[in-house]
Amino acid sequence: MKKIIFSTIILGLVWTSCRKEDGETIDGPSLNDLVGPFSIVEDITASQDPINFATDGDLVFNGELSKNTTWVIQITGSQSGAVRTLTGSERILSSDNAAWNGGANSYPSFGLEDVYVEITFPDEDGSPILYDTITVTGEKVDQGVLVTSFENGVGSNWNVWQQTTVTAGIVCNSESAKGSCHYSLEGTVTWDWAIGSVAVQPDAGTFGLQASPNNLYYNMAIKPLESVGPTTSFVLLWFDEDENGDGVFDPNTEDRFTYEYWTSDTTWQQISLEYASLVNAPNGEPAETNGNGLPEPSKLISVNMFFLADQNNGNAKILFDHAIFTTNGPYNP
Amino acid sequence: MKQYLLIILCVFALSVFGQKKKFQINGAGRAYYLANELDIDRELDSISTRKANYGHTLLDFGISAFPNNNTEIIGMFRIRNELGGFWGAGVSFNVRQLTLKGVAGNIVRYELGDIDIRQTPYTVWNSPEEGNLNEGEVFSQRRRVVHYDMFYNDTTNAWRMQGAKAAFGLKFNKGIDAIRFKSYLTRQQVTDGLAVPERLFGGGSLGVVVIPRFELSFNSANLFDLKETIADSIQFKNSVHTAGFRYKTYLKDSIELGFSGEAGLSTSQYLFYQDLRAPESLSDWFVDVNIHSIIADNKFKLSLGYKDVGSDFRSPGAQTRRINFSQFPRVYQQYTNDAIGRPISYVDFISGNTDNTNKISESLVPYFAAYNNSTPYGQATPNRKGVYFNAEQLKGKAFKKSFLRFSGLTQSRGTGTTQKKLFLLAETGTDLYLNEVLNWERKIKFDLGLRYETTARSGESYEQINLQSVFGDVGMSIEIAKKLDLLFGAKLWSTSGTAFVNERNVYNTIVDFDIVNYDFEESVIAAGIQYRFNEHNVLSTHFQKFNISHASENLTDYGMSQFTILYNLFF
Repeated sequence: MKKIIFSTIILGLVWTSCRKEDGETIDGPSLNDLVGPFSIVEDITASQDPINFATDGDLVFNGELSKNTTWVIQITGSQSGAVRTLTGSERILSSDNAAWNGGANSYPSFGLEDVYVEITFPDEDGSPILYDTITVTGEKVDQGVLVTSFENGVGSNWNVWQQTTVTAGIVCNSESAKGSCHYSLEGTVTWDWAIGSVAVQPDAGTFGLQASPNNLYYNMAIKPLESVGPTTSFVLLWFDEDENGDGVFDPNTEDRFTYEYWTSDTTWQQISLEYASLVNAPNGEPAETNGNGLPEPSKLISVNMFFLADQNNGNAKILFDHAIFTTNGPYNP
Repeated sequence: MKQYLLIILCVFALSVFGQKKKFQINGAGRAYYLANELDIDRELDSISTRKANYGHTLLDFGISAFPNNNTEIIGMFRIRNELGGFWGAGVSFNVRQLTLKGVAGNIVRYELGDIDIRQTPYTVWNSPEEGNLNEGEVFSQRRRVVHYDMFYNDTTNAWRMQGAKAAFGLKFNKGIDAIRFKSYLTRQQVTDGLAVPERLFGGGSLGVVVIPRFELSFNSANLFDLKETIADSIQFKNSVHTAGFRYKTYLKDSIELGFSGEAGLSTSQYLFYQDLRAPESLSDWFVDVNIHSIIADNKFKLSLGYKDVGSDFRSPGAQTRRINFSQFPRVYQQYTNDAIGRPISYVDFISGNTDNTNKISESLVPYFAAYNNSTPYGQATPNRKGVYFNAEQLKGKAFKKSFLRFSGLTQSRGTGTTQKKLFLLAETGTDLYLNEVLNWERKIKFDLGLRYETTARSGESYEQINLQSVFGDVGMSIEIAKKLDLLFGAKLWSTSGTAFVNERNVYNTIVDFDIVNYDFEESVIAAGIQYRFNEHNVLSTHFQKFNISHASENLTDYGMSQFTILYNLFF
């Protein structure tokens, strides 16, 4: 009995003494990443040049560094001035962490142009800055239902209105948020807040949107240029639903949901709102509509973009561009 | 109110003198005065107050009552008066100890209230602090004050806790000789009803004496939160289960040869934590085996062992440190014109200027790598494996209590790199009674201790470590007249090299490394005189001078001198 116990103990101790070694497992963060020397082990290169995002997919930066450290890839459009920043801290740059889909951080979007690429390593003193130029021959394909990007003129069903002292219409130049054209409203209205509006109504009747208002986002680009301020001017959006399906919106019996966006600065900015949120009026109270009161995007027949500005503030100007519905999140310019 | 309490206490004390069979009085008295002076260049520090004087007198008045032959009730009250307090200001009146103990049914020994718990170095063990290697009496007198106040005991290595413990033993005529059973349950943390759960610490040991020369032991120590003591029912659990053995035999009937060892598992769990950093479960194991021999007519004990403590081995009862080096000392907390925090030094502990703990901590609290890098959490320090050798003098005349300890350890798992640190530690010391050599009647005693530690790691330049520290501890006491001693002592700590100190989050996960370049010397020299009324009644006065100097001009050199008067009485 005693021999068995003693032998068992000895064998157990011998067995446990042989700790399974895992030479690659370490405790804590890697010292190489914290204080190791930095170098570029494999040059960072773009997967394609030129790139057509519509047909080629994403542009991928591939490369290898000597350590995990912060890297920043900044892509700037030579003509649009659009900017896209990719950041990461992994040692290996690949499609998992360094892929560009052709979009920008914010408006303006990239066009068909050369883009300048700058790669930096901000945590590494004395590290090189890498430069490259890539030609974009095809823009990315937007996922969503386009309302209008004002590229094809005024639609046959659109309803355009402006005060007599206001100049309004589609303008095509390099100032657009996306593409070549945008809608411009400019003028001095001393007797009223209303400047002008453009109501977009598709030729097909409705926009062909989903039935549920959840996870459906309306997005558009605006650029207030004059009479700008959070109490000075605002964009009023009307979403008109044809509830009885007769092809005509009746404001006395059908739902018109509204949304207000007060201006703040003079850059291109994006309005994004979930369609389901329209159940509440701009003041936060339940929306007062004349229909069934339910946001029903499949019945939407018109989106009216209305610009209003304080009549005491002189000339007012705003640009509208690229109105689009997206699902599962706001639009990525 | 305090005056009334004192009167009641005195009346009670007088009454118990007449009842020797039912009561016993014990306790301690102390008068302690400390005068500190900071020594730092005026250009570097023109704002700190240079002098700090304080002191106290206190009485620990303990009464042991014996209501029957099997029961003892111990109550100890502390009356403390800060020097400078006047007519009661600065006076505190506390209960220092309340313990009920006895034997139930002549079988089970039990203790309730303030109890001391110790198991094994890997389950429950109160490891000593740094800065003491067989130090001289000029230092140890004041260290004893701190230890007494904190219930530290470097002989028993027990933690003072509040709870209950019980023990019993059974002897057998057949099969095995005897079994011994111990268990305890203590309260470590009181819930606030909001975010801090109630925390208990409990466990036990089963010792099996197979034959008198062969023993087995099974130990368990568990730190755990009670469910539903707070609304957000997070629960921390740590369990350590170990098994050990001890066997000895005799060669030629005069040389004792023994084998002993302990091995076990730990599991830590952070249940229902919202914090994603909290590891749900963490397990690891350890093993420690050694062979020892007592030779040369029982004069020396030699032991050689091997240990392997896993990186994730967590044993709060054995890994709790007395001093948390992330805190600041109580005196001169800040210095220099930038009012930077003054780091704790080992001399702050001697003087009682550190906040020490007597609570079991689930955290591996920060340590000072320059003082102890190989085993900062005692024998149970995680992520260490290797060999150790100890030689210990058991008997002697001129030289007593000599020892030599050596360990060569590596990490089980690299920290921050696959390269592993190597720790070499050598400690030696002795008590030299020169009067025995010279055949003098009056005592001349030297206390000598020397410690050398080096930490090394190879690899790329950013991985390399070469940290070395040397610590010398010297003391001398000379009896110049009957019961009157002159005391001298010195400590020198010299450290140079680079250390990569682990920075852990609240879940003990290493999140960063503090890369520190050490190159400094700390020294303290002390002298004193003491009069021993008897073994437990000593009046002494000391003066010590501490200095720290750095090789780097960016770090601040400074010094502290301290004059103390200490009267210590135990009764």
